[in-house]
Amino acid sequence: MMTLDKDNLGELYGRVGVGDQSMLGLMGRNQDISVGEIFMIYSEREGHERVFFFRVLGLQNYLRQVDDIGRIASTLMVEGDSYLSGIDRNKLLSIDGKMLGYAERDAGGDWVFRSPRRLPDHLAEVYRPVPGTSDDAVRDMLASQTGGEVFLGDLQVGEETLDVPVHIPAEFLPMHVGIFGATGSGKSNLMMVLIKSIIDNNMDRLSGESAGRFNVSAFCIDPHDEFAQGVDTYGIQDIVETMDAKTRQEVLGDFYYLTTHLQAAPREVRRYGKELRILWEEIKPQDLYSIMDFTGQMYAFIDMVYSRARGDWIAEILDMDDDPDGTPKGTLRAVQRRLRFVDRSPIFIRSGNSVLGDIFESMETGRILVVNTSLMSDMEQFLLTTVVTRTLSDLRKALKSSGNLGDFDTQAGMRLPSSFFKKVRERARAFYGFGGASDSASVKDPRSLPVLLVTVEEAPSILNPELMRGQSVFKDISRQGRKFNIGLLVISQQVSVLDNVILSQMNTEINLRLGNEREIKACIENASVNISGFQNEFRVMSRGEALVTASYRELPLPVRVPLFDNVFEKDKARYKKKVSGTAAEKHTL
Amino acid sequence: MLERILTKQFRDSLKATFKDIQQQQDIRDEKEFAKDEQRIKEQLLDTVDPFPQDVVFDEDFLVGAVDGSGNDGLALLDDVRVHLFSTACVILSTNTQSSEPFTPLDDTRIEECLGSSQPHLETFWYTGVKDDARRKMAEYIDYISSVSDPLEIVMPFFRDFTRGEIDSWNDLKDSKYAKYLSRLESIQNLISRVNLTNSTIHDQLRTISEYAAARKILDSSIRPKYLLLDGAMSVFIHHIRNYPSMPSGFLLREMCTRARKEGVILCAVSKTHTIPFAHRIAQMAADVFGETSKWFCQLPGSEDPGGGLHITQSRTYIPPMLAVPYLFSFSRDNRPSRIDFDRIWWLENIFVENDPIATRENEKALFRELEYMSRDARWYGYPVPLAVAHEQCKISYQDIRLAREICWDVRQEMGMDERRMEPQRTDFNL
Ligand SMILES: Nc1ncnc2c1ncn2[C@@H]1O[C@H](COP(=O)(O)OP(=O)(O)OP(=O)(O)O)[C@@H](O)[C@H]1O
Ligand SMILES: [Mg+2]
Repeated sequence: MMTLDKDNLGELYGRVGVGDQSMLGLMGRNQDISVGEIFMIYSEREGHERVFFFRVLGLQNYLRQVDDIGRIASTLMVEGDSYLSGIDRNKLLSIDGKMLGYAERDAGGDWVFRSPRRLPDHLAEVYRPVPGTSDDAVRDMLASQTGGEVFLGDLQVGEETLDVPVHIPAEFLPMHVGIFGATGSGKSNLMMVLIKSIIDNNMDRLSGESAGRFNVSAFCIDPHDEFAQGVDTYGIQDIVETMDAKTRQEVLGDFYYLTTHLQAAPREVRRYGKELRILWEEIKPQDLYSIMDFTGQMYAFIDMVYSRARGDWIAEILDMDDDPDGTPKGTLRAVQRRLRFVDRSPIFIRSGNSVLGDIFESMETGRILVVNTSLMSDMEQFLLTTVVTRTLSDLRKALKSSGNLGDFDTQAGMRLPSSFFKKVRERARAFYGFGGASDSASVKDPRSLPVLLVTVEEAPSILNPELMRGQSVFKDISRQGRKFNIGLLVISQQVSVLDNVILSQMNTEINLRLGNEREIKACIENASVNISGFQNEFRVMSRGEALVTASYRELPLPVRVPLFDNVFEKDKARYKKKVSGTAAEKHTL
Repeated sequence: MLERILTKQFRDSLKATFKDIQQQQDIRDEKEFAKDEQRIKEQLLDTVDPFPQDVVFDEDFLVGAVDGSGNDGLALLDDVRVHLFSTACVILSTNTQSSEPFTPLDDTRIEECLGSSQPHLETFWYTGVKDDARRKMAEYIDYISSVSDPLEIVMPFFRDFTRGEIDSWNDLKDSKYAKYLSRLESIQNLISRVNLTNSTIHDQLRTISEYAAARKILDSSIRPKYLLLDGAMSVFIHHIRNYPSMPSGFLLREMCTRARKEGVILCAVSKTHTIPFAHRIAQMAADVFGETSKWFCQLPGSEDPGGGLHITQSRTYIPPMLAVPYLFSFSRDNRPSRIDFDRIWWLENIFVENDPIATRENEKALFRELEYMSRDARWYGYPVPLAVAHEQCKISYQDIRLAREICWDVRQEMGMDERRMEPQRTDFNL
């Protein structure tokens, strides 16, 4: 079996002092070490090599030959002429940290990563990774921990990064992703990087360059209208414009930008934009129940109207003057008050052209949609997200419970507002069927369709325990999204206020810098791998730095999210002639 | 035992003992010391005038130090005893020019210059067979020392001791030592102590190991300005024959000679010493110079101007033969320490005949540098090089336990018998 060249691990830094399975103490030269750094410990027993990964959680100056540091300190104070001789050599750093696990080769010679069940040898050599030296070795050893289709950033070791890209596998997106970070921690930039990664994934699949199994669609709420044009210099629009027409058409379709008032959008963005319009008849009572509280009487009233009026329920309620018989006084007014925002909204319209069908089509084709919600009220944004999510999931649910296209018609007809389904029926049958267009044609498994990723911004407003108690669409998706290949991308400044159902169903967490101790604690508790003891790290994180935890990985990964501008600059040449390129051209690339 | 120790009776008997000490010894010493007080205060005691903290020497210099440690029972196989010795040589540079006082020389450089990495470990064994200890000690000395020709070993002593009157083997033949010539011809015969206990043997070999290490520094290209040893320059003299009763006494003189030749200042520093009334001298210094003063005080002998002190008159080991001891204190919190210099060197470099002022200036310059070496916050008041050497060579209880385990392991590996090596009393839990 190949043996590892230890020189490729990095520079020899020190030795293992004391430790148990999870916490270790290292001793090493007093260099500029920072909390969060990763060290590798090389251990060989009976010809079997293991490389342990160790993360620095705390540092302590340690003077060799000194038992009582306090006394030294006071001598230095009292005896003004005293010094510490040979300090470089004698001054060691005592490092406390956590064992993250170890890499070893399996019988086939591939690196696998295991949870910390073993201990490195006493006094084993500790290596500090060095960019430019350690990258290949670390990339190999951590392949199982960093692989996937959706690029997030590079593995961070202390203040620097290695050329070890970290991804999220698309197959785990339907098991939901959380992005947590205080304001200014880099959530928006991260979203843009994710959108780019998704575009890249889809593009590479189209060009046959990616081995990934899924196209990914994303419905991305953009509360500050920054994704299209970017936080700093570049935005998604720049990707769009860099693409040649054919690539653009195939990867992004006719539009990617949704907004309340298209006229307000910059001219170049407008070309790829559509106005957000949802018909009242496309809204189900359940959508409203997911975003606001109602009393029992109100539920009863709404359900009664809905069962009679179906798609016209909102119009009918808004048009009513008096509580109908049998409905307690004041119920109508209370419900009308709650629906007032729908009435006034430019998005939710009584009649006209809806964009919901186009959204459905985009999402089922593996597209990304940037949804400018900057001019919407919170309620409008929540209702929009809910209607879209519920519509997509109703259709996939109908598919899931059908054996053929005929069944699907029936199932979808039952679940969806009929006027809407009528509009999308043909397209849906085209997406979902295979082996013909007849009613008896088979349908696809939702898990072979694009992954649908729906972002939920300002998540605490709708994913809080009060609303989640009821019939929330999100509760449903968080539990069952996997079956339908629909995932939630929950973005929040706070973890502590999110509902437990959501948190417990989340399998990937991207923890950015957090605002306070309470959030740090909540993030640590919520993480899918044990990161207890990482408090210090969270305290010293800077913007763009993330700790990525996932239930399908043993290793909590420190990641530096690149600035969108930089990755765009780096990759922009790729967007030209990508899909249309012939094989010959590809070889010369 | 505990119930005995806790009795009032025991306390009473201790009281009686201390009362006796006070009445017999202290009162006598007190009387003697009173006669010395004036002289100490006015002539022998003086302050060290420290260098400023940020001093930059025109020429930075090196300081070497040697310390050793050991264990006299690494393994016990019936009447065979295995000893363990460690020595550490360290070389530090004053490095004031780069403001990093007392930076150790690179390990590899030291290894290159001395021929072995530091610290250094040796084992030694002997049996209870008649003369075996003596023979094996001689072999060890021959092996460990740079000088092994008995002539080279003994002559420096006679030269120094007779102030050059005896300068060669032929001179020796014509001297009162003629009758011992045959005893001076082999290392084994230089061991003239009759009662060689295990601990005598151990101490002797440990001292010799340290001298050998120091000698290596003197032989090397390193050339430190100072070379510090741990301990005093005491030598046991055979009362009848009037020369050292153990080889270490000769080797010390040999080393001093070599140091003088190389221009290295040899100093022997003892943390613990047996100077009576040291605390009183310290108190005197505090009274005269102030609580925070740094000071030194020569302990003169009969050959010095003004003769020896009354208090040391009856203590023949102070000053030691061919040595000049001083008491000193560089730190208010610690008890004074003692430092010994080679008397021959001292006469040539410090002492100025009939000029006490010049002598004092020389002393002050010397202690000024010694004080500068002693400011590390970890061992404030004690010379850093020695402290570092001590840290390097010390063998802890843990180390010994591990070394014993390895002994056992090695024997197993070599397929040797399974004789146990711990003291037998452990068999009975004693
Ligand atoms: N990975 C990164 N590397 C360097 N700088 C970054 C990174 N991510 C974000 N920034 C910078 O930090 C600033 C804030 O980033 P961003 O808008 O993404 O934060 P946010 O978490 O979305 O904040 P808010 O909660 O206010 O929306 C931006 O100016 C951006 O340039
Ligand atoms: Mg933002």
